[in-house]
Amino acid sequence: MIILGILAFHYTFIGKVNASEQEKSERLFSLKVRNILSSKCFACHGENRKKIKGELDLTSREGLMRGGESGISSIQSGKPMQSPLYLAITREHEDDWPGMPPKENDKLSKEQIEEIKAWIKTGAKWPDKEIQKKYITKDRKELITKDGVLVKTSGGLSEDWTYRRYKKNDIWAFQQIEKQRIPKQEDTPIDFFIRRKIKSSGSFSAPEANFRVLVKRAYYDLTGLPPSPYEIYQFRISWEKNKVEAWEDLIDKLLESPHYGEHWGQHWLDVTRYSDTGGYSNDYERSNAWRYRDYVVRSFNNDKAYNEFIIEQIAGDELWQQQAKENRNPELLIATSFLRMGPWDPAMVKVSEARQIFLDDVVNSVGQTFLSLTMRCVKCHDHKFDPLPTRDYYRMYSVFAGTQMAERHTPFMQEENLERFSQGKKHVQRMLNYAKQKTRELTEKREAAARNWFINKGTVYVPHDKRKNLPDDMKPPRHVGLNYIDQGRLKVREQDSWIWGRRLERYEPLSQSVYNGQDPTFLNARKLRIKKTNNDWIPNSRIYMGGSLLAPGEKVRPGVLSATGVPVSDGNDNPYLIKNELQGRRLAFAKWIANPKNPLTSRSIVNRVWQHHFGKPIAGNPNNFGAKGLKPTHPDLLDWLAKDFVEHGWKFKRLHKMIMLSKTYMQSSSHPQFKELQTKDPENNLFAYHLPRRLTADQIRDSLLKITGELNPLIGGLPMMSEINIEVALEPRMIQFSIAPAHQPSRTPKERNRRTLYAYRVRGQADPFLEIFNQPNPNDSCEARVSQSVTPQVFSLMNSDTISDRSIALALRVEKEMNTVPLQVKRAVQLTFGRVPEKKERERLEKYVLKMREYHRKHEPEKINYPTKITRSLVEELSGKPFEYEEILPNYESYTPDKKPSDVSANTRALADLCLLLFNTNEFIYIY
Amino acid sequence: MHYLNRREHLFGLGSSIGALAMTDLLAKDSAGPLSPKKPMHDAKAKAVIMLFMEGGPSQVDTFDPKPQLNGLHKMESKSKSGLATGYRFYVGSPFGSRKVGKSGLDMSDQWVHLADPEIADELCNYRGCQAESLNHPEALFHMNTGSRLGGDPAIGSWVNYGLGSMNQNLPGYVVMSELALPQGGARNWSNGFLPAHYQGTRLRPKGSPILDLQSPPHKTRQHQRQSLDELAFMNRRHAEKHPNHNDLDARIESYELAYRMQMEVPGVIDLKDEPESIREEYGMNDHHTASFGRQCLMARRLVEKGVRFIQIFSGGWDSHDYLERGHSSRIRSVDKPMATLIKDLKRRGMLDSTLVVWTGEFGRTPDNNRRGGVYALGRGHNIDAMTMMLAGGGIKKGTIVGATDEIGAKASEVIHPIRDLHVTILHLLGLNDNKLTYFHGGRHKQLSQFGGQVIHELIA
Repeated sequence: MIILGILAFHYTFIGKVNASEQEKSERLFSLKVRNILSSKCFACHGENRKKIKGELDLTSREGLMRGGESGISSIQSGKPMQSPLYLAITREHEDDWPGMPPKENDKLSKEQIEEIKAWIKTGAKWPDKEIQKKYITKDRKELITKDGVLVKTSGGLSEDWTYRRYKKNDIWAFQQIEKQRIPKQEDTPIDFFIRRKIKSSGSFSAPEANFRVLVKRAYYDLTGLPPSPYEIYQFRISWEKNKVEAWEDLIDKLLESPHYGEHWGQHWLDVTRYSDTGGYSNDYERSNAWRYRDYVVRSFNNDKAYNEFIIEQIAGDELWQQQAKENRNPELLIATSFLRMGPWDPAMVKVSEARQIFLDDVVNSVGQTFLSLTMRCVKCHDHKFDPLPTRDYYRMYSVFAGTQMAERHTPFMQEENLERFSQGKKHVQRMLNYAKQKTRELTEKREAAARNWFINKGTVYVPHDKRKNLPDDMKPPRHVGLNYIDQGRLKVREQDSWIWGRRLERYEPLSQSVYNGQDPTFLNARKLRIKKTNNDWIPNSRIYMGGSLLAPGEKVRPGVLSATGVPVSDGNDNPYLIKNELQGRRLAFAKWIANPKNPLTSRSIVNRVWQHHFGKPIAGNPNNFGAKGLKPTHPDLLDWLAKDFVEHGWKFKRLHKMIMLSKTYMQSSSHPQFKELQTKDPENNLFAYHLPRRLTADQIRDSLLKITGELNPLIGGLPMMSEINIEVALEPRMIQFSIAPAHQPSRTPKERNRRTLYAYRVRGQADPFLEIFNQPNPNDSCEARVSQSVTPQVFSLMNSDTISDRSIALALRVEKEMNTVPLQVKRAVQLTFGRVPEKKERERLEKYVLKMREYHRKHEPEKINYPTKITRSLVEELSGKPFEYEEILPNYESYTPDKKPSDVSANTRALADLCLLLFNTNEFIYIY
Repeated sequence: MHYLNRREHLFGLGSSIGALAMTDLLAKDSAGPLSPKKPMHDAKAKAVIMLFMEGGPSQVDTFDPKPQLNGLHKMESKSKSGLATGYRFYVGSPFGSRKVGKSGLDMSDQWVHLADPEIADELCNYRGCQAESLNHPEALFHMNTGSRLGGDPAIGSWVNYGLGSMNQNLPGYVVMSELALPQGGARNWSNGFLPAHYQGTRLRPKGSPILDLQSPPHKTRQHQRQSLDELAFMNRRHAEKHPNHNDLDARIESYELAYRMQMEVPGVIDLKDEPESIREEYGMNDHHTASFGRQCLMARRLVEKGVRFIQIFSGGWDSHDYLERGHSSRIRSVDKPMATLIKDLKRRGMLDSTLVVWTGEFGRTPDNNRRGGVYALGRGHNIDAMTMMLAGGGIKKGTIVGATDEIGAKASEVIHPIRDLHVTILHLLGLNDNKLTYFHGGRHKQLSQFGGQVIHELIA
């Protein structure tokens, strides 16, 4: 009855709508409203016929008019303010009609709300399919309408997706890069673009920073280390002679420093998620990952062209395969470790799932790293905002479908640092021998009991590995002769044997690489080697609907992202598809990324470089150029830089220099109109002044070491074990079935006090000092380091052993160099801040030191003892009972600690108090 | 250039002006990231204590007895779920069970203190939750962060992000564990992509409760005060030279906050001022219960001090074998402390506003496989069924919600995934999961990943 009533009402209403209104309404429905309803409402209101929320079915006009459990029609034709549907989507009448869709994230855009409103106003027409089609077909013929542009792709899972329209600035990154024209003028091109915008906003650029700020900025930006007082002095002399030359010379000098590659390598490793272990429950070591770290450092130092850098990391092994056997370059195998940088462990998952986890990770990582696209969303559906159909995701997935992980034979190269190989190996061997000996003791005990059992039984002894399949009454109990303590210990020792046995691979000519082949039937992350390959085999790739292995959809071939409009280079029936062979997929894909015409690639990398010079990128999310990423503040500049970068051979050093020679780069971090700018441009999107930056975790540690004179500048090589907080180092860290071996610091200060880049990076155990200063978690690609001030940072910087050791080291250095308190204070300030203290400042600090001398005469520090073994306690898995075992820490047997408070005099401790304060100041921790 | 020089000359006379300006700034800037925020709707609970039984307690041997299963003991099982392969056989529960309290909750006979009617009738046993990962770390990540991958913000981080902390001198999210960290380690209480202020702070069971909380013994608190004053002086001078730099103030303030935290944290941890009767009640005088008891008492004190979210990890529940020994000792270690915690909270009028959750990362199978060729009396990992105990904070008292099938293999009523449990916890705290979002990686992210439902059956 109710339905009839509504229909009748509606019927009378139609008469009042004129023809053009009707057409407008039908058009609105066909092109807009239908999509909004289906994407935002149908999931709960009609699609699933068994579960219709609130009894409201929106999939037909009848349902809409019938309304839901409220009994009120969802729409009053012509009257949006009386239409519950409209009231609900505005989310402004929540007392009567709760906001819809319920998830805040899904709320309709203002435009969508307006479209629904207009549709209701014009009579809420719901034309039949034929008429809808008419409007749709007509609309699809227009490339650009006021609703946006069509983007040609390989096509979505639905026609609606394929023909949806994008706002032009949402797909900015997919557009070809146009050549930017620059008028002839004095400014550098960078300054031209930046200043043009500043000027049009009615502001002006900050003045040039002073030489002291500039020299510090340049050192940190190019090497990640502060300049020494002498280096500042040198620069000052030449700056006073000729500013322009001095600045250019400095940049050239720093670009040639081997520390340049370390610093920029670290930026790259943040993005690619470098770690020495594989994460997950076992956190197995990736024993040769360090060779990839050094490859990256080398590549930056040698100014390797970025297009080559891309191809090597994605397809180095395929290039290697093509080289003449006697001339193969091992570097190419090492480079592919990039593909294996993500956390991965197949333990307790099926092989097919473990493969999927790996492939999803690689697809997303390649997308983020080189194209600045997050691919994760496209795994399950066509992208909601970007022109990325799920078909393209699985084409890309197919590119890697035959990529198998393996530790491959890779000869050491002359460029590689092989120092400490023999000492390192000796240490690992000792740990391994200990684990094996303990294992043997326990298995011998068990087998002795087993022998007795067989004797009593009157049968012949069957060794342990042979009796597994005997019936229960024909063999002794599984752990015969072993109590729960022995059982627990045996498990630990067996695990340790694996761990240390694997670590020996560090010293082998291996790399964490890949090869092309079939999926293995069995996977275990602790040992991955090349398996026999049938080269005729071709991966069978399909779209996984909803990202589920259990829902294979249409077949796909390997291919590239169609929305870029950039075809694969070696011609094909379909310009976006790669030859469907086992070999060569990745190479073709990598070449497509490195194609000069690929608009994403060059924009992505120049944006990253810009970010590290200015503290913020041009396009706000270096890992996401999609519609949901922040838009570029200077798209013209970004394009100019990208084009220029490619045209000049994809060279980083040239780009750095060009940036650093700009006036924009040399600006002060202060601005005369700062207050106005703060309101007008709080994010400094104009780049009207230079942004101050907090040192990163690594820079804090490295700077401290350089200031104290302890830094060992050795480049590359085996990961070193720094002295991390000893409580954390010895803390039991659970891994599958056991506790991971303790972190043992390298034996001598020289070995430990290397740059943070070389510190052993364990996914399951961060160095707390670095972690607290926002060292990124290596499970996620880090597009930009954060620098939030949180309270525990204070504890690390005031109370930790690390900071205490550094402050004593600086005190000792200063005492060695200067013999009176005033001179010592002056020198400490100079080393830490790169400037001499002013008189008043120095006098106050002197007083402080003298006061502390008195204090320390009355307060003796405790001696620190390092343990050479540690007793672990663990709950035995099967019995639930705790047991203990002993772990040896041989590195502490012949350990040279850094100088501790108890090793130095009260006067040194007083001076160290001052040094510690200097390390805590904002002046040290921020660069301007 | 002229401008800069002028600024630099200013600071010589400006130190008093600077000091004033600073206090003014701080007064205005008191709304830090952890300052208390209003809930989104009426909250039932203000704080959460989550007792996390790492390893996966067995439902049929704790709170969901299955007499039918005992009849099948050592008979062949055809189940294919879980990880176990090869010949599988049913394992009856080594424990008896009974109904306790007026409400008649089921408990195995190993529970003595929790079975006290006064406590049992406060509890709600939920049997409908299903997990998704069979492996410990992934399952732990899922229960703690809503994602099995690890690296997303933990539920405690989300809660602090949504509600702030009621005590600025203590961390808003505190974690306690045994000496060994649970599998997956600190990622179980990581702030993920949320700002670092929201990360869980682990109170370490041995040594310094917070890493480097105190200065080395040869530096007194007075020494520290002097150092901080000297540092403040230097930092103020520096701030005068860089008036444009906004981050400086936050960093200066963090030193004073740290100084206060150094006082407050040991105060909470030091249980000396607790009467002997309380220590006895929490089981601190018995080595079986001492560790968990101490942590439960600490949890109550932390809630009193305004900490929002507290987690205690207790390991050893992964009984693949020797189920009887393993589970009876585990139950014994938590029974008394947990019962006392609930009693104590109630006594102090805090239970109504404190949600207590006892759970593992998944449940266990009714059967087992032959391990090393022998009948091992234990259970495998089970994602289809598990058991939880909830109390206080708006939870329905003395009731059983949901059910599992006749052998406890699979949830059969009021079935919900973990995300719905998360949504429910947030709901009780006055937070709407759909509105508690953070923009990251091109998407508004939320604890439930893509939304979930409140489990209304659990709510009073």
